[in-house]
Amino acid sequence: MSSRERLRGELAAAVSGAGTALRAADALCHACVQLLDVDGAAISLVHEGATRGTFGSSNALSRRLDAYQFTFGEGPCLDAVQQGRPVLADDLTAAAERRWPAFTASAVDAGVRAVFALPVVVATESIGALDLFRHRSGPLPGETMSGGLQAADLAALPLLDLIAQLGVRAEAGIVEGAEEDPWSELESLERVEIYQATGFLIAQLGPTATSPSEALVRLRARAFSTGQTAAEVAQEVLEHRLRIDPDGSWHHDGDHPAHRNADGDEPGRGGDS
Amino acid sequence: MTQEREGEVTRSFVSLATALALGADIVELLTRLTTDCAHLLDVASAGLVLGDQRGVLHVMAASSDHARELELFQIQRLEGPCQDCYRSGAPVSAPDLSGSGRWPRFARAAERHGFSSVHAVPMRLRTRTLGALGLFGTRPGRLNAEDLNLAQALADVASVALVQHDTGVDSPSVSLQLQTALNARVVVEQAKGLLAYSGRTSPQAAFQLLRSYAGEHQQQLSTVAGWVVHGDLPARVVLEHASARPERDDEGGSGGEGGPAAARG
Repeated sequence: MSSRERLRGELAAAVSGAGTALRAADALCHACVQLLDVDGAAISLVHEGATRGTFGSSNALSRRLDAYQFTFGEGPCLDAVQQGRPVLADDLTAAAERRWPAFTASAVDAGVRAVFALPVVVATESIGALDLFRHRSGPLPGETMSGGLQAADLAALPLLDLIAQLGVRAEAGIVEGAEEDPWSELESLERVEIYQATGFLIAQLGPTATSPSEALVRLRARAFSTGQTAAEVAQEVLEHRLRIDPDGSWHHDGDHPAHRNADGDEPGRGGDS
Repeated sequence: MTQEREGEVTRSFVSLATALALGADIVELLTRLTTDCAHLLDVASAGLVLGDQRGVLHVMAASSDHARELELFQIQRLEGPCQDCYRSGAPVSAPDLSGSGRWPRFARAAERHGFSSVHAVPMRLRTRTLGALGLFGTRPGRLNAEDLNLAQALADVASVALVQHDTGVDSPSVSLQLQTALNARVVVEQAKGLLAYSGRTSPQAAFQLLRSYAGEHQQQLSTVAGWVVHGDLPARVVLEHASARPERDDEGGSGGEGGPAAARG
């Protein structure tokens, strides 16, 4: 097994064994400190509306620093979420570092010299960030960066659980933090039919009222509650057999003649359907 | 090479190079490239898969949007010629899938969808493999050397298009650019779904609408897709633009009503 695969496995184990979403976020931060060359880690959720804040951390200092960004309304994590790309500050004491004066002053007081904020992206939307802290200045080694990016990928799962609990009306039967294999669950959400079905749900819920990540949260919650895979739910949606109402309730309807054959695949071809 | 084909090949490369130089949208560019592959080479279908920072393959573009063909690319996360090609960085050829026990799941899916041969060439950036270009035929048989060379040349164009500001093979920026391209693809798929549902049409037709709208308004495809999924550009505007101009992405702007700036306000 390569060291990269071992790292993937160890990061995934942190998320899968945790029990609840909050514990999974904490465990992932602890794993970052143990496995990567960083001194602290924190995960924050920056979702539309009021649901934002620090949800996981490796220790009290990381939690406090991460939370400062919300107090001050500035910081690498917020920038990373807004820009949808990593925001790296490898020397907070440098004279040229003027991006977040209040946050930087607090971080330097606490002995932190470098912060690396990696966005957590779901359905192309940044829903939060993983912040990595170091007591010494200097860029992150390539391997640490690559491990950090993987951890930021995994952080999507506890954050999706949190959004389901906090933001959206909780659908029945969401199994919190129950991912048996977090990597394969993430991969199961990365399919063309899921992306297109997300678009269907946005149309049904109203594009001004729903974000892509919220639509994905609902699709995933539906899969949990019915015991289907996300791809199966997506297929029902695309075939106009299942739709969601703006109030969040799901309906089966096979009787929408206008929608028949709308997927463009001629019936009869392709054999098994 | 016949003179006619030579002309087509030249036109394809010139058009790709022009689009690249003008900063065309990556989803648009790579979709065009796969369509050119299917047209120029002796294959029925072509598609590009791209590896992310985890080494997982994603469908980036395909010559046809039919679900049955997309499935062939998606299944290759587990096994298949594109997967092997991506892992090894070398071309993979399976001229007759019926006798091949190499990828049982993939071969079953391919046969179910009427494909009997498959070829994959790597998308390379110096020592690093970014993804693979997969070519599917409905008849058994090898690609001749000329077609293979052409396929590799088209795959190379795709690699250049993906990593335009290369600052070194191992730099995180290569991964970031790949991720940006993959995100662009996702948002385009979401917009296709939204438009298909709102306009009671197929995702394929919705894609053409989106392309022609972006073309006419001289916007990047993924930018327009982002407006649509975030509610900044009403689906109605894109769909109605279509009823005026049924299909095809003619160039030249109509200007006037329905511009994104007006619609966003």
